[in-house]
Amino acid sequence: MKRARFLLGSLSGIAVVANADHVFARALAAAALPGLPGTENRCLVLVNLQGGNDGLNCVVPHGNSDYYRLRPTLAIPQSQVLAIDAQLGFNPLMTSFKGMYDKGLVAVVQGVGYPNPDHSHFRSTEIWQTAAPDRYEHTGWIGRYFDESDLPESNLFNGVSLAPILPEVMVGSKIDVPAIASEAAYGLRIDRNPMQRDEYTALIHDERLPFTSPYLPHVMEIEDRAQRGSEELPKLIGGYTTNASYPATPLGRSLALAAQIIGSNIGTRVIYVQHGSFDTHVNQVAVQNRLLGEFSDAAKAFYDDLAAHGNDTRVLTMTFSEFGRRIEENGSHGTDHGEGSPLFLIGGGVKGGLYGSTPDLSATNMGNVRFTTDFRSVYATVLERWLGRPSAPVLDGTFEQLAIL
Amino acid sequence: MTSVQSSRTDVAGIRRPAGMLDARTALLPYEGTLDTRFAAHLLRRAGFGGTPEMVRALVGAAAGNAVEQLVHFPETTAVAAPEDVFDPSTVYEEYGPRGLRALSDDQRRELQKDIRQSEVRSMASLRLWWLNRMLATPAPLQEKMTLFFHGHFTTAAIEKGVSPLMVYNQNQLMRQYALGNLRELTRGLSKDPAMLLYLDNATNVAEHPNENWARELMELFTLGVDRYTEDDVRESARAWTGWRVLRLTGAAYFEPRLHDDGTKAFLGRSGDFDGDDVVNIIFAQPQCARFFAAKLLGLFVYDNPEPELVDGVAALLEKNEYELAPTVSTILRSNVFYSDRAYRALVKSPVELVVGTYATLGVPQVDPSVLPALRSMGQVLFAPPNVAGWPGGENWLTSQMMIARQNFLAGLVNAQIMGASSWLGGVPMDPPDATHALIGALLQDDASPSSYARLKAYLAGDDTSALAMLNGENFQERIHGAAYLTMAMPAFQLE
Repeated sequence: MKRARFLLGSLSGIAVVANADHVFARALAAAALPGLPGTENRCLVLVNLQGGNDGLNCVVPHGNSDYYRLRPTLAIPQSQVLAIDAQLGFNPLMTSFKGMYDKGLVAVVQGVGYPNPDHSHFRSTEIWQTAAPDRYEHTGWIGRYFDESDLPESNLFNGVSLAPILPEVMVGSKIDVPAIASEAAYGLRIDRNPMQRDEYTALIHDERLPFTSPYLPHVMEIEDRAQRGSEELPKLIGGYTTNASYPATPLGRSLALAAQIIGSNIGTRVIYVQHGSFDTHVNQVAVQNRLLGEFSDAAKAFYDDLAAHGNDTRVLTMTFSEFGRRIEENGSHGTDHGEGSPLFLIGGGVKGGLYGSTPDLSATNMGNVRFTTDFRSVYATVLERWLGRPSAPVLDGTFEQLAIL
Repeated sequence: MTSVQSSRTDVAGIRRPAGMLDARTALLPYEGTLDTRFAAHLLRRAGFGGTPEMVRALVGAAAGNAVEQLVHFPETTAVAAPEDVFDPSTVYEEYGPRGLRALSDDQRRELQKDIRQSEVRSMASLRLWWLNRMLATPAPLQEKMTLFFHGHFTTAAIEKGVSPLMVYNQNQLMRQYALGNLRELTRGLSKDPAMLLYLDNATNVAEHPNENWARELMELFTLGVDRYTEDDVRESARAWTGWRVLRLTGAAYFEPRLHDDGTKAFLGRSGDFDGDDVVNIIFAQPQCARFFAAKLLGLFVYDNPEPELVDGVAALLEKNEYELAPTVSTILRSNVFYSDRAYRALVKSPVELVVGTYATLGVPQVDPSVLPALRSMGQVLFAPPNVAGWPGGENWLTSQMMIARQNFLAGLVNAQIMGASSWLGGVPMDPPDATHALIGALLQDDASPSSYARLKAYLAGDDTSALAMLNGENFQERIHGAAYLTMAMPAFQLE
């Protein structure tokens, strides 16, 4: 194969000559990563429940009469709730998830939100992803974690987004994160054309161009990473086998690929997946129940897959959603954009149980669940206790940590 | 001035210290004539590039004359308007207020669903319409400025009640002021229904002021962050109270009963200001001119311009009372515009990459497949990621977006697309000549000798045993492949 040899990691000052040998990439990826002792192999999986997941029909306050009064057609009947205790329980479609909760693998943090909540999907999504409620920030909190962590820039897969578009949460200024909608979709068309492939490789690495541009080195580095990434991923993760049976849903496929990437030990620290849309303004019950059932089954298959490969204690899965929904149902058997809602942390390293204050449906903020835990407290906990990094530089401030990890 | 030793002659033939700007001469007219590189540079920056023929037509022209043609563009009102821009108010009108009230919940839901589907379809055709307009217009600079304004004074459809028709009307307003007066455009946008809805000024009433528009007007649109106080935001919001959008018709109107006509203290002045007064006060701030100067330099010259250069353009804006035509004209004919520092110093946005590629190939119409391609590249027209617009620059350079960019280019190697090129069919059949024709036309020779050799070998079929010699039978396929490989080179990503 005629392949140009080139320098890797020119930005970080590490000069490493690479070739197509994936053993090399794997060795580089598996090099010790900074963090607390014992955190080197840890991975964080973010599950974005897009559209605004209604917290009250997910973690149901079945002991609360206000809930039944304000949701005459939407409330989950007490008899169907998968009770955690006399007050709370899971949505009836979340049986697999309830099983994991009962084994102590799930922490439920209630009433999570942020001050001056924004009710726009796009702005609130951005706030959760950038962790910057009070300014417009172009980098995400995970992107800034990458930037702060001296991860090897030469590793192509420090972070992986299993979505067609790179979400803002993964955007940093140093580490490039590939967005992989599926293994099949992540690729250069040119790779399927052997007639032109070698020419392409040589031409994108043309280093003696007769002009200068502040962006030229960056263009060339990204072109190189794009080509190598799409070429190397199948080789790096191709050896993984599993007996886990995932539901045949988009989330099931995403989490199966996540388990494959994690199990292939290619140095990936954070994986992003998405599920939804939970934007249930009309006929909420049918839509949300289906989505929660899919989530519950996929999360269980994912955990079982990880456990079967001995990866369950080194992977933390965390859900988030841009907001919860209004307490009172609307005229269309749905709910409108709200504020605080619960999120889940799942994994062998989690201290399972209920955290945060149960929503007080009488002391509301214009009909919304008031947030009682700032989401940045959860992020700070994950950064400090899971990823072993100081949270203040990432979150632009210090936030109280929770006992969830 | 530093010593002669460290100075050099840049591509414009100007001797200046390496990496340093000579503020005295930067904005003076470039005295030379245009060569191929400069002609293509001007066409890319003042529009979306052009075919080799269009480039050749400018070669040898004085920079000033070439710019004159671009800035004083012909009347474009004859360019076809999009067909069927969806306006939900026509549906509401059909039912009438009484008919709407009579609908059952299920019927109303059904209606909303239908409207939503019509809106989604309408947005897709509107996007294609605009891309085709950028490609075919006799006034590319007008479209370039409209695209700039769309990213600057952002509005996204179809959210917050912004309909396809509203966003199209806003687009036309921006087009109307493309090289017009910035202050007038800002005033126009402040009363534009799409903007009123998008930034919540339509719900800004004396009793409960909503500060969203008042804040973004200063932070993102005219002054920049930290150039005002929170009190200025509050007072400005009061001045803007009373503007509404009638949902049923989509029209903007002013409701005096909802307006706060009390005294406001805003940016050091006080009076019973309304929105127009707020715009006038903002545009009287020297910072406003500097803010737009930096934006215009980032659009036409390079990112992060030096403060002296920003001051120079700000002075022009103030002298011209925010008239854009003379200001943009000065920038496009300036020494700094033709300097080494500005040449290929910007990353093409996805829209610039797509329209520019079609424009350079001379393919008269964009293929609908560009819409999903643009989505993968991260730029959907009329749907910027947030009110701050597309961050641009190196934010376009992620490996995933690069894969999308390269796959878009690879997708052009399709007889129907490349075969429609006005000039690819006329590339000589001789491999060395064809190599020069392609690298010349697509990259203005911005490739190294080894890349020339590579491409020539590919065309000749002498490097890969699998390829036959270039001949009449394989000519089209091979030329299209070579054109693609040329566009895959790094220079093509930059403008």
